[in-house]
Amino acid sequence: MSDVSVEAKREGPSWLILPGIIWMALFMVVPIAMICYVSFWTQTTFNISSTPTLASWKQFFASDTYTGALWTTVRIWLIVLATTFIIGYPTALFVGLFVKSKTLSTVLLVVCVIPFWTSFLIRVLAWRPMLGKEGAINIILLKLHIITHPIEVLLFTELSVIIGMSQIYCVFMVGPIAFMLGRIDRNIIEAARDLGAGFGRIFWKIIFPLSLPGVVVGAIFVSVMVLGEFATSGALSGRKVNLLGNIIVTQVGSLKWAMASVTGVILTVVMGMVIAAFLRIVDLKQEL
Amino acid sequence: MESRVLKPMLAVYVVAFILFLYGPFFVLGILSFQQGPDGGPQFPITEWSTYWYRQIFGLTPPSRIAPLPVGEALIRSLILAFMTMVTSTVLGVMSAQAFRRKFRGSGVVFYLIVLGMMVPGVLTGLGTSLLANNVFDITRHWYTTAFATHVAYTFPFAFLVMLAILNRFDGSVEEAAWSLGVSPWKTFRKVTFPLIFPGVLSAMLFAFTLSFDEFPRSLFAAGGTEDQTLPLAIYGTFSVEIHPNIFAFGVLTTLFSFALLSVYGILMGLSVRRARKLAMQEEIA
Repeated sequence: MSDVSVEAKREGPSWLILPGIIWMALFMVVPIAMICYVSFWTQTTFNISSTPTLASWKQFFASDTYTGALWTTVRIWLIVLATTFIIGYPTALFVGLFVKSKTLSTVLLVVCVIPFWTSFLIRVLAWRPMLGKEGAINIILLKLHIITHPIEVLLFTELSVIIGMSQIYCVFMVGPIAFMLGRIDRNIIEAARDLGAGFGRIFWKIIFPLSLPGVVVGAIFVSVMVLGEFATSGALSGRKVNLLGNIIVTQVGSLKWAMASVTGVILTVVMGMVIAAFLRIVDLKQEL
Repeated sequence: MESRVLKPMLAVYVVAFILFLYGPFFVLGILSFQQGPDGGPQFPITEWSTYWYRQIFGLTPPSRIAPLPVGEALIRSLILAFMTMVTSTVLGVMSAQAFRRKFRGSGVVFYLIVLGMMVPGVLTGLGTSLLANNVFDITRHWYTTAFATHVAYTFPFAFLVMLAILNRFDGSVEEAAWSLGVSPWKTFRKVTFPLIFPGVLSAMLFAFTLSFDEFPRSLFAAGGTEDQTLPLAIYGTFSVEIHPNIFAFGVLTTLFSFALLSVYGILMGLSVRRARKLAMQEEIA
């Protein structure tokens, strides 16, 4: 008798999932559906009405500002994805594979995560005195006589946005990759070495393929955050670099809800394609 | 052999990497001691002073530079983070508990929840404000619309943490309680919950810090100035000229976060110690 009841009680009733589903449906799915819907609304100067029209969509694709923002977003996303990977992988390699002591690798990871307990916006802002014409980097380079004139392209350019984003997001690459590298069975590497494989060969044949799920998870994190960005690009480019996020913010600021929604739908589509592509490589649920 | 060369090289690289991560903070920290109120947010330091720190606490005579409007914003952010933390942890524990049994559509539900941490804040924020403005015609506030979007963002994190914990959870202790006739709710309270408590703490920490620092969702889903959370107050200073007071404030918030992290560390340590003590008692018995 007790067997049956234990089986029934085992792992809780399934109505427990309902509040979570309802919350996500109401405050994530419905809002996004709403964005799609409003993107077809009619926008007048100060008002918006639900009469369906394609006007805002046509306006988006007819304007260089808007399509330009789309390409800038894709370009900056790809560049930051590459830089965070290039900057992060060696660190992950060291933390996950080369450090033998568990304590030291935990300490190193914590050291990498600590900056995240500073407000995101202040982390962005911290780059301004770093990169400016009279900023720390220029002062140091001048003192070392590497340059004779301060480099001016460092701040309020696309470069400053890329530098800022790379620093802010590279840790999201380091974490998952280091985690996957830490799980590699050391005996496989030993065996390959005993069979005479050099490090390069071991790396490309064993280490890198086994770390790939970590790379994909890291890439998803970075992509999702960079694609939805607008604060870093606004603060470090002096409003010269406009991402899709910046367009949404300015459109909402001037009460152009329909145009903001069109941009939102396009951002959603880009995001969906990117996530779907990455999930094709790795099943997230299995890596947990 | 190759690791004799490679390992030191990588070690040097990691040091450079950490410098890259911390560089801006050093600069920020140094510049927060800039002379005030005339010193600018750049080098050189005209004179070392704690002017900007004193300004934050209202200890300086009024000057042409307005103090940061952080007082009330800080309180709002703390309350919002607390509300978000409680709600998303409860939802996270409930959902993860439900996931211990396979149910129909569990794959879809999993991705539905996880999507919440992937969808950019700009989108959920925009969608929520569209709904509030154009469908329900309600005023947006930090404690209503912004709160809802915050939970939709932090709940997935709490859920994943709890899922990871419950995946490694030994269900036989619960079964033992049930077969002794203990009710499911009491079993959860007395057996399951104490065992998963470290996970609950981590979920709470995640939810609190994420919500406390959340910015894009609040920007859209919170209302006007009387609804400003702390990140919104900081963002407001972006558009005008920046002064070292924002740097001083950055240093202070970092210290606050460390304090929070230490509390978490202590609580975690205590609960681990308690678990160990319990295990020892069991062994003796």
